Amino acid sequence: MESLHPRIRVLWIGQWAITAIVLGTIALVADRLFVDVPTALQGGIVVVGFVLGTVYALRLYQIWRFELQSDALYLERGVVTFVETAVPFVRVQHVDTQFGPIERALGLSSVVVYTAGSRNADVRIPGLTPDRARELQDTLRDLAVESEADDAV
Amino acid sequence: MNRLHPFSAVTMAIQQAITGFTLPFFLVIFLSSVTDVVTTTWAFVLAPAGLVLGVAYALAYYYRFEYGMTSDTFDVQSGVFSRRSREIPYGRIQNVDIARGVVQRLLGLAVVSIETAGGGSTEAALRFVSEGEANRLQRQIRKRTAEVKGRQREPRPSAADESTTTDEEPVEPRPDKPTSPRGADRGREVADEIGPAESSEASGYEVDRRREQRLFDLRSRELLLYAFTSFRPAAVAAVLFLFFLATDTILEYFVAIAQPVGGPEDLETGTTGSYGVLTLVSFVNGLVITYLLSVAYTFATYFGFRLSRADEDFVYERGLLQRYSGSIPAEKVQSVTVTDNPAQRLIGYAGLWVETAGYGPDSSAGSQSAVPLAKRRRVYTFTENLTDVERPRFHRPPTIARRRYLVRYSLIALAIVAVAFAVTRVTVLERWYLAVAVFTAVPPAAHLRYVNLGYFVGEDHLVIRRGFWRRRTTVVPYYRIQTVSTRRSIFQRRLGLASLLVDTASSRTFSQATPTIYDVDLEDARDVHETGRKRLQSALRERARSDDPGFSVDFT
Repeated sequence: MESLHPRIRVLWIGQWAITAIVLGTIALVADRLFVDVPTALQGGIVVVGFVLGTVYALRLYQIWRFELQSDALYLERGVVTFVETAVPFVRVQHVDTQFGPIERALGLSSVVVYTAGSRNADVRIPGLTPDRARELQDTLRDLAVESEADDAV
Repeated sequence: MNRLHPFSAVTMAIQQAITGFTLPFFLVIFLSSVTDVVTTTWAFVLAPAGLVLGVAYALAYYYRFEYGMTSDTFDVQSGVFSRRSREIPYGRIQNVDIARGVVQRLLGLAVVSIETAGGGSTEAALRFVSEGEANRLQRQIRKRTAEVKGRQREPRPSAADESTTTDEEPVEPRPDKPTSPRGADRGREVADEIGPAESSEASGYEVDRRREQRLFDLRSRELLLYAFTSFRPAAVAAVLFLFFLATDTILEYFVAIAQPVGGPEDLETGTTGSYGVLTLVSFVNGLVITYLLSVAYTFATYFGFRLSRADEDFVYERGLLQRYSGSIPAEKVQSVTVTDNPAQRLIGYAGLWVETAGYGPDSSAGSQSAVPLAKRRRVYTFTENLTDVERPRFHRPPTIARRRYLVRYSLIALAIVAVAFAVTRVTVLERWYLAVAVFTAVPPAAHLRYVNLGYFVGEDHLVIRRGFWRRRTTVVPYYRIQTVSTRRSIFQRRLGLASLLVDTASSRTFSQATPTIYDVDLEDARDVHETGRKRLQSALRERARSDDPGFSVDFT
């Protein structure tokens, strides 16, 4: 089983930090406009959000695993709800590599695997080096072509 | 390339003219109230100009909208300024639907929608073609899809021959068409095509009718039972909409109704007691009206429902005011679901739905009713014939799952009590502790949820049953599985339970989630997970050697 690149933790912690700051800002705005929110509470929201987010991100990194098995791409992930997913290669419609500005700055990339299954629930493997992402994309594409089914939807 | 019916230009011109007129009108009115630069006199110039522009746009749209059929694709070219030309391969078309509204039926028009598996909307909508043209399109697309399929299968026999030499059991020669009645259909279809389809609309329609083989007619008894035993959430929305439209009239009506039984004289004067009566009476009234609306809606939607087969396709027709007809290729069916609600279970009836990957004309996207309602026995037999599934012997989740629901529903009940308590703090209402009564509903609710869960791991299918209010028993063939996931929340992990999600390509909607086996032992979940994966592979290998479409069209 392969785990993600350790640097993904930086990205996730950063995302949680941003969320915590946004929450803090909302509390600040609420304080100015509507009700009185104590400064301690405002700071508390940011700190607790950041700490919980960091713990969550670290734990998620520990849990995230994926593997190319004989017939399917297999993934394990999830802190609160642990999910094991198998995506048979036959079912792969197409594979993307994606990276956002922050991911790019960190030298990370994601692979997104699309199936014909439920919309908007496609499989995403974050935290790969660009080389590994491209390699995985190529492998998945080859495996998908190799095992093409004729019962197209 | 063909154009739409000229009448579409007229309706679109009217629509665009209204938009073109009102938009600048209100914009000017709004801006003139905000700034001094704009005065209301501008409206007299801009609004007519908008009207003319709207009409011009509509006409341009009409003349720039073209559709046509090539040997491999259905093409649509549209767009006034930015042109879009779309080619839909026949092999990818999921279903072709024809809808005729009341006005459209009077004028002999129809809307044709062509759906494929991709995208979030209808791939091609021909808003207003003549009825004959609509039927011709549906028939031609079906026919060409079959031709494309035939061509794809041509190189197959050689592959099959090879496999016979290596495989232990000889592969059955594919059921060739001339021996079946389908061959005869082919000939007639060709003749039908050569004949001038446009001029002899009526006769084309007749030919089509004869070629179809009726599978199921919804009898009036079944229609009435269906209308009275099913409830449509859309009715709630309709009632709320009505209420917002005519709030005063409806309030007056409620007051008038409640008066004889102790309601207040009018809304301003009244005691707590009389307001209570008013609330109760209005609530009951609202329920009855919503229910009746739902009954009427279901009745009108499924009036004259019939399902037929044409070659390898299902063709259905339904509707009282708005007439729908659609065709679903049997090989596009992803899964089959038997649904029933408590009322229908009580009288021993159930309905049968087929799921495809496309978007249907219904709100329940991608799910088409094959048999709206029939005796349960019959529906089960239909399902067995359609999918070739053996009679399922359901496994239940362990009883610990029931305990989980007990806890879950208790928490919900607790939340309700908390809300009731909060309400008593801010309003005149007292006695929040009466809300504790909801706890009596918790054990039956948990039990009912539990007893309606079940799964069966069949030879070629997975059968998953869940839900109490709308119980769904879904038959998923292994070869239709897209992904399988085992999910365990923290609570499930503590109890050693897991849920298994079996995803197919049928579109998921808000109301109808992925088929899920809930709360089984982790080991069982893992077993089914593995089985599903393995059988998907073996089923695909098997299917690569045979021509079995998987679903039998002739299931009744």
